[in-house]
Amino acid sequence: MMVAAVPWRPLVLGLAAALFFTIPAGAQGVDVAQRVEQCGTCHGEDGNSRMEKIPSLAGQPEFFIVNQLFLMREKVRPVEAMTPFVKDLKDEDIIALAKHFAALPAKPSGEKLDPALAERGGTLAGSLRCVSCHLPDLSGTQQMPRLAKQRLDYTIDALKAYRDDKRPGADSIMTAVLLGLSDSDLAALAHYATSR
Amino acid sequence: MIATSTTRGVLLASLAGSALAVLPAMAQQAPPGFSPLDQSNPRASQQDVNLRPHATPPTVTAPDQVPVDKLKLPAGFKAEVFSHGHPGARTMVRGPKGTIFMGTRQLGRVYAITDRDGKREVKTLLQGLTQPNGLVMKDGALYVLAINKVLRYDNIEDRLDNVGDPIDLTDKFNLPPDIHHNWKYADFGPDGKLYIQIGANCNICEINPGVHGQIRRYNADGSGMEIVARGVRNTVGFDWHPQTKELWFTDNGRDWAGNAGPEDELNRIPKDMEGANFGFPYCHANGIPDIDIKRPHPCAGVVMPAALTGPHSAGLGIKFYTGSMFPQEYRDVAFIARRGSWNREQKFGYDVVVARPQADGTAKIEPFMTGLLDEAKNEFYGRPVYLLQMPDGALLVSDEQNGATYRISHSSSDRPRVQ
Repeated sequence: MMVAAVPWRPLVLGLAAALFFTIPAGAQGVDVAQRVEQCGTCHGEDGNSRMEKIPSLAGQPEFFIVNQLFLMREKVRPVEAMTPFVKDLKDEDIIALAKHFAALPAKPSGEKLDPALAERGGTLAGSLRCVSCHLPDLSGTQQMPRLAKQRLDYTIDALKAYRDDKRPGADSIMTAVLLGLSDSDLAALAHYATSR
Repeated sequence: MIATSTTRGVLLASLAGSALAVLPAMAQQAPPGFSPLDQSNPRASQQDVNLRPHATPPTVTAPDQVPVDKLKLPAGFKAEVFSHGHPGARTMVRGPKGTIFMGTRQLGRVYAITDRDGKREVKTLLQGLTQPNGLVMKDGALYVLAINKVLRYDNIEDRLDNVGDPIDLTDKFNLPPDIHHNWKYADFGPDGKLYIQIGANCNICEINPGVHGQIRRYNADGSGMEIVARGVRNTVGFDWHPQTKELWFTDNGRDWAGNAGPEDELNRIPKDMEGANFGFPYCHANGIPDIDIKRPHPCAGVVMPAALTGPHSAGLGIKFYTGSMFPQEYRDVAFIARRGSWNREQKFGYDVVVARPQADGTAKIEPFMTGLLDEAKNEFYGRPVYLLQMPDGALLVSDEQNGATYRISHSSSDRPRVQ
């Protein structure tokens, strides 16, 4: 419940962080190692984000990262804070970045989890059949992201965005699954998923 | 006849009942794009509940990985790669100057494929659109129908390097904004009207029959809307019979009602039955009542399909062949691209079939292009989605999984080989 009260602040922090970087103008392809370092500033050096509302990339399915970077680059899923970083990426850069982050081990973010809420979330997740797509250990596969050990605050925001049909570029299935759930239901789901 | 006061009562009761069953605590309006009444129940289906849609790669398949060598065709036909390097390849239309325009879904791109010295050049013409699957060519103009937009690019082939701003017809057509099953298929009919489908905004639910589950037609400027078919779950491919001028359309059956179906449909709108009802959500396939949404006499007044096209096979593109390259027995028969199943444990489809119209208005389905499904391994190598007949009579098949097109030709009109 407490978590559900977190105000909806889409990516303001991410945008602020973005201003710290200088993006080489008209870069033709990118140095992947340099780009990994850039990503790490917000998403965590080891791909595990310690920054509020910024998702972890470590251990995400490679396909998922590739797909999302394509959709962001081509503004099918516009994410303002990411735009400067993705706009000059070539396909092969995207694939290299995805391989890098997919291979890193996912670690807990250290956010405080409520076991009772997580338990309720587990029951709800069972009836919503999250594991059908996200796998029994919630590690994700193909276009379906890892949920286990993802940041709690990010997960709550993402679930709200799906439910409220504010996350373009996704297939409609997530909105269909979450339709009608309350903020506290979504918080419970997030506590459960993050705790896995 | 169907909407008697009794059945109306039942309908309302079942609407209320399903709302309660699905959304016990729902206190809000459904977001645009969804029916809050979806009745899908994977557990009750006794299918593997872990079935999930297959991912479509946004990345380029290397030319030597395009599985053209796996394709099997009847004797005398051959397949070759016509174009590649356009991920998410779906619908195709051809301009009068020979440019092939290609739509996609999730990737949001429209490609232009041109021919230079016998080699294909691929250019991403538009991007960032919401599932621009609906492409139509008319008098040199390209119509692009995304889920939330109807755009017209006049003289597009003269402006491939700088397409400029389109004429925005979105408000004129005023199509529903829903996302689910609302990626478009559209084409001009022999009557000069623009035909557009509006899918059901759910897997299985009570739809608003005034809005969803339809094929409509409009004047080219978006005026004069008429409903030409109702109770259509989701067609994303149709064509007119070259002789009878009747509209034939593929229709994808519901999911989570078992591995066996209900089977997908190939439908025909008989000449004197425009506006007829094709059964969704009460009656599927050749007269199978729905297991979740029940009403008395679910199939009364429903037009039965011309043919069943297989369980979960996902028949998309359909084209009646009018060329002279293929043997005479392919004249005026329909080719149907089946994208292949996801909601079925043993995969099915991933091929192109032929539908031969019969004198009684039905059609016979025969295999044509196979080889992309390995039944023993239960794996697929490609997903045929749409078809385009070329001026020389060859047939192009788009493969969404590999971002490629195959050119199917017949040897009698290719270079004859001396045996």
